[in-house]
Amino acid sequence: MSEAHAGGGQEPTTAGRVILTASCSLAALLLIAGLIYAMGIGGRHQAALAAAGCEPNLSPSGRQCTTAQMLASHYMAIMTPARQQLNADEAAYTANERGNLVAAQAALTAEVTAEQAFGRSLAGITFPPAVAPTAKALAQANRARAKLTAEQAGSASLAHLRSFNHRVRVAGAAVQTEMKLIRKALDSPSPAA
Amino acid sequence: MAKSLVGRRAENELAADNYQPAPYGGPGTREPDLYPDDVMGARKEDDHQPQQRTAKSRVDEWMEVDFKFGGSRIKRKAVALVLLGAPALAPLFLMLPALLTLNSNTFAVSVDDTLGTGAEICLFLCLLVTPVATLTRQHWFIPLRRWYGIMMACCAIGDATAAGITDDFAGGVFGRLAGHVFELMGFIMVMLVIPLLITSNPWAQRKLGRYWKRLQRLTYAIWALLAAHLILLEGFGFQSGANGSGFAGDGDPIFHQRLYQYSACSLFLLTLRLPPVKRWIVARQKEGRGWLVYMTVVPLFALFLLGFAFIVNEEIFKGIGSFTEHPSAE
Repeated sequence: MSEAHAGGGQEPTTAGRVILTASCSLAALLLIAGLIYAMGIGGRHQAALAAAGCEPNLSPSGRQCTTAQMLASHYMAIMTPARQQLNADEAAYTANERGNLVAAQAALTAEVTAEQAFGRSLAGITFPPAVAPTAKALAQANRARAKLTAEQAGSASLAHLRSFNHRVRVAGAAVQTEMKLIRKALDSPSPAA
Repeated sequence: MAKSLVGRRAENELAADNYQPAPYGGPGTREPDLYPDDVMGARKEDDHQPQQRTAKSRVDEWMEVDFKFGGSRIKRKAVALVLLGAPALAPLFLMLPALLTLNSNTFAVSVDDTLGTGAEICLFLCLLVTPVATLTRQHWFIPLRRWYGIMMACCAIGDATAAGITDDFAGGVFGRLAGHVFELMGFIMVMLVIPLLITSNPWAQRKLGRYWKRLQRLTYAIWALLAAHLILLEGFGFQSGANGSGFAGDGDPIFHQRLYQYSACSLFLLTLRLPPVKRWIVARQKEGRGWLVYMTVVPLFALFLLGFAFIVNEEIFKGIGSFTEHPSAE
């Protein structure tokens, strides 16, 4: 027989009290554990930064400093999708460069957009002094390629369009070289793409 | 036999569980909410005293008072609801620049963190309304439940849409949406949220009648699926990498573990929904010992706030990255 019936209409609150007491005790224990844990955050922070190779005075995310791992992760996060997009656009251009001027121009325009977006994202990363010159060179190479690709996209004929191919390939190779140098400097793995 | 009696009683209680205080349109009107205000057939606090159903707390009455603003009169409640409801727009607002500039990079890197975390925040805010109403015996903020529910649905659908377009998982759109088990959980959540969103209006509520409330209980399935989603995403640990919160440069990976945040928030939200706990609270309040209720739930609420603060922290950190189109991949 339940407590409610035994109590002749008395509120059946024992179960509620037990549940609440158990939950609150658990919550209080977790809070105390959290408090103890929080007291060691400073030490762990320093240890984590030291272990990960902290780059002092770089704070793009508002943190005390940026680690090489964070920097590499940030760089890869902008580079990988940009590269995938460029590969797709280049494939679209190659498929149309001999037969469809409008489609080839559209592919090149998309390429320019992706290159410019990559440039903007790259400018948002604060690199350490050792990597900054390479990053600057990459930005310049990327700008040059974007400018050339934009000119190529403005071609009036397929023959004129294809006449840019070699120069664009050279500009692309310059970008790739700078990318490799940055990856090496940041010690990040090469993308599979 | 006993079981059927219990079932019938539960149904009666459910039928009676349509309390809407008069301020939201007067007697006979019902404010439609996207989500149910109760779980597991729990009784409302005033089930035994129908005459109190239209009783208002002093705060409710205060909120009903008009004040003059410009040339018109506005209720205090309206201002408070707008102020409390506006932050729910933040996740969508933070993704707006990336949407306007069609920045696929920002979408690919941080839409899941910005809109996914935003949906989680809105879900918890939506689920918070009922416990707070139980504790405070105020009802002026009940309409927020519907609003937060709608915003949760918008964030979740936006997240799934962007992920379906921009993620780099193999297998086409379906592979990007449900190619991994954790994604499948998210996909099911989005599928469940769609009928909730569609039926979050008075017309649907009228048409569906008693089935409306049952349908809205899908929210609890979403709540549970979110746990599965987070377990599969981060595991139970807090190490850097696949089983944990990744690299937490600020030295507190435990606080950044999403499953722990979820659990900290859910303990409060679940406990205060349990019928025996609600009965205990109502009994203490009837005795005039509301202070005892508050004192008792302080640890639970503090734990909720701790977990919630770190979820909001995540949203702000990732959201600002998305807004400035320099997304963080951490």
